[in-house]
Parts: sequence; structure tokens; C-alpha cells
Amino acid sequence: MAELPDEELCSRVAARDNSAFEALVERYQLRAYRLAYSVLGSEADARDVSQDAFIKLFESAGKFGGRSQFSTWFYRIVVNSCIDHKRRHRWWSKFVPLRGSLPEGEESGVEPVSSEPGPEAEAMLRETSSKLAAAFVHLSPNQRTAVLLQVQDGLSSREIAEVLSCSESTARVHIHRGLAALKKLLKRDQ
Amino acid sequence: MKMDVHPQPALVPYVRGQLGADESEAVRLHLEGCAACRAEAASLLATWEEVSVRIEELPQPEWIAYRSELRRKLDARHFSRRRRWVFGLASLTAAGAAAVAALLLAVRSPTHALPPVEELALEQQLGSNDLGLLRDYPVVERLDLLENYDVIEHLNELSPAPSEQHGSRS
Repeated sequence: MAELPDEELCSRVAARDNSAFEALVERYQLRAYRLAYSVLGSEADARDVSQDAFIKLFESAGKFGGRSQFSTWFYRIVVNSCIDHKRRHRWWSKFVPLRGSLPEGEESGVEPVSSEPGPEAEAMLRETSSKLAAAFVHLSPNQRTAVLLQVQDGLSSREIAEVLSCSESTARVHIHRGLAALKKLLKRDQ
Repeated sequence: MKMDVHPQPALVPYVRGQLGADESEAVRLHLEGCAACRAEAASLLATWEEVSVRIEELPQPEWIAYRSELRRKLDARHFSRRRRWVFGLASLTAAGAAAVAALLLAVRSPTHALPPVEELALEQQLGSNDLGLLRDYPVVERLDLLENYDVIEHLNELSPAPSEQHGSRS
């Protein structure tokens, strides 16, 4: 089972093959978790949301049409789950305004490197002693996601654009600005 | 074709070998003549490599517990979905049974009870017999006369009047 390609495992999951699902979970658990963590900035939320994404994968595996790579399709599920999670919890910020809250429509478009960390970035900073996580705080969620997908998975800017639902040129700007900011931030901390 | 503007957003895909042939050639030509972009490309590649090492420092959950929690969530979701399905089916069945019962009551209502077929046929036959008697009315009239004659003939056999009977007893 472990040597089967993602697409084959996905079609078996669509036929309710539990061992294929377990193989896909083992293969993608770390990447899905990191992706959710890069968007949400909280370990607990990343855990919940990445698990939700796997449940959605189990339920909708039959909808994977094979037009894109399985990884791109699945990462889109993870990112959508993160967006849903943020929407569900957005009402709370109306009562407790947080410093550095992200502007409307932050899911798409180019964002400048943030000097004021957002709420998820603050959570990230509180929870980790990792230099990269501390540097990630100053990037927008789109920049963090684009850099993560580029470095972790080696996705092309076209595939990252597909995951983030933006244009390829916007995805390239996210990657470039994210890495340029990390260069300064990691150098500063050394 | 050489680029006139600095292709900074294309530098990472270029150093990662992810550009198409034409665009890659255009960036290469630009880098040949632009020291700033060459330095930028080298610096971005170094950062990319550092991030690829440091990414392992990002927090991770305990994976066995993560997977068993995921399995529990999946089972719970399917159980609740099955329960909803069974409840929906039971509601549908109850509603269907109620509708059938209402329909049966409406059909078997006594307000429009119809006579059985045998009764109808008998009534029809009796009706036709009566019509036959009316058709032969003169014969029936004569029969009545004959009946009266019979009474006259046996007049002397009639029982005495009630007062007469009473007097003889006393």
C-alpha cells in the first residue's frame, strides 16, 4: 500500500478502503499539519483543522477528478478548511478586537510584510521556540503558505496559485516577498 | 528575449528550475547583465535552503495520538450521520403509514355505502314482476272478485257477533 501513488490510494479511499486512507494519512499528516499551522498559527487549531481536512478527504475522495495532482487538490481542501475555521471564529474578534487583525479580503491578493503580527501570528510566537516560526510571525498567511508549499513540497508557482486561488503572478509575489522577508528576519536573529 | 524590468518574482522559480523554456531563457539573459538580480537570486536560494532545514524545527504533534483521534472523529461523524439517516427513515415510514391510514378511512367511510350486487339484481327482478302485474290488471281484478265470491259463499259459516256471544254466556 505504501508504494502506491497518491491518485491510486485516493481512488481506493473513494471505494471506502480504510487501509488506503490510513496510508494517505501517514503520507500527508505532517505536510497537512504544517500547512494548517502556517495559515492558522496555532498548534491546537492546526491539529483540529488538518484532521477535518482528512475527514473531508475521506468523504469526497470520489470527487477527485485527476485534473490536477492529488497533493494540490488535497492542499486546497486544507486551505479551505483553514478559511472555514477562521470564518467560524471571526465573530469572536468583534467582541475582543485583536492587535494587528488582518484586513478584509486577506485570503487573496498581495499583502505587505506585516510588522504588527496578527492574532494567529501571536499565537505562533507564544507556542514555539523555533526561529522559523518566530520569523513566520511577520509574514502574512498567504506568504507563509506560499513559502511552505514551495520549500516543503517543491510546488511550482502555478500549483501554489491553484491552492491559494489566486493568479500565478500573485503566487510568485507571495513566494518572493515571503522569502525576502525571511532572509532579513533569520539574519537578524543570528 | 531579454527582460527590461527586474524579474524578481520569477527568480525563485528560476533558481528552482520551475520556469518554462522561454521565460527561463529570458531571465538567464537578464541575469547576465544585472548584478543586482544575480545577487538577489543567490540570496533567495540561500534563504530557501535555510528554510528547508529550519522547517523541521516547526512544532509537530504526537502522530500515533493524532491518527487515533482522527479515527475517533471519523467514526463519530459516520455514527451520527447513520443515526440521522435511520431517524429520517423512521419519520418517513411513520408519515407514510399515517397517510395510508387516512386514505383507508376516507375510502371506507359509511356515508356512501353501496348495496351489494346481489341485492341490486333482486330488486330489479321484483320491480319487473310488479310491472308484469300492472300489465295484467284485469286478470288481477277478476281474482279479487273470485276471492269476494268465496267469502259470500261461506257467510253462514261466519262466527256470531261479539254481543251475541256475550249474551249466551250470561
